[in-house]
Amino acid sequence: MDELLLSKVRLGVVAELLNFDWVAFSELARSLDVSNGNLGAHMSKLVDAGYVEEEKSFFNRRPLTRYRLTKRGRDAFAAHVAQLQSMLAETK
Amino acid sequence: MNRLDAPQARDHLEMVDRILAESHPRLCAGGEFFVIWGIASAFATVVFALADRNAIPAAALWSVPLVLIAAALYTSVRARSLRRTLARTSLVQREFFNVLWLTIGLAFIADAAAYRIFTGTASAAIWSIAEAIVLLYIGMHGNRRAQIAGLLVVVSLVAANFVAAPLAPYVLAAGMLVGYGGFGASELLARD
Repeated sequence: MDELLLSKVRLGVVAELLNFDWVAFSELARSLDVSNGNLGAHMSKLVDAGYVEEEKSFFNRRPLTRYRLTKRGRDAFAAHVAQLQSMLAETK
Repeated sequence: MNRLDAPQARDHLEMVDRILAESHPRLCAGGEFFVIWGIASAFATVVFALADRNAIPAAALWSVPLVLIAAALYTSVRARSLRRTLARTSLVQREFFNVLWLTIGLAFIADAAAYRIFTGTASAAIWSIAEAIVLLYIGMHGNRRAQIAGLLVVVSLVAANFVAAPLAPYVLAAGMLVGYGGFGASELLARD
């Protein structure tokens, strides 16, 4: 299994990004119901692993950070979910 | 944490299912673009038709490129600003903008570079076809207003074929204004 995606927050982030091109940090924190600090730490790990691409800009003089899934992240997610499903199938 | 047990794995999969079920992105058409291009294309069609009948001075034709350039500039600046500030941009949305630019771009090339083939009313009809494709594409993603607007544009195209030749440009312009521009206005009203 992909160790990076064993975290529920990181798996949730990747699932949130799956159908979207770009998603703002604030939007991810809201939909996953996690604190900014907690999410920031998880996002750093996903960015460092190359699963997620980060874009920093300013809008109305306020910082705006957005993320999108890379091909590597998409492939890792698909493989991880397949492993979870096969694990559950084995335990039935 | 190196491993998950079965209940944790089930919990994770349920979360993924829930997120994916809730993330069906609605296609945001951007109403103002449709209002602007509906007006601009109808304006160009009417001005060309009036100039063709010598109902307006030839110099009035210069208003057409000015209006089109203004519309293109606004679209470009606004789309750029929207792209940078949206909290979520879906993959469907990106695909929609690709379809929009390709369709309108091809219509522009047909009108500007193949003007000897698409003369007079044919050049306006090209815009109607492009606008109908864009609206029906949005309609395919479940937007009922876009389906109706797309059909209106198609009906105007067919109707223009059967009315008296001098009236055809006005029928096409009405389709652009009511179908394309009207759809944009309805999107803006629905958003508010």
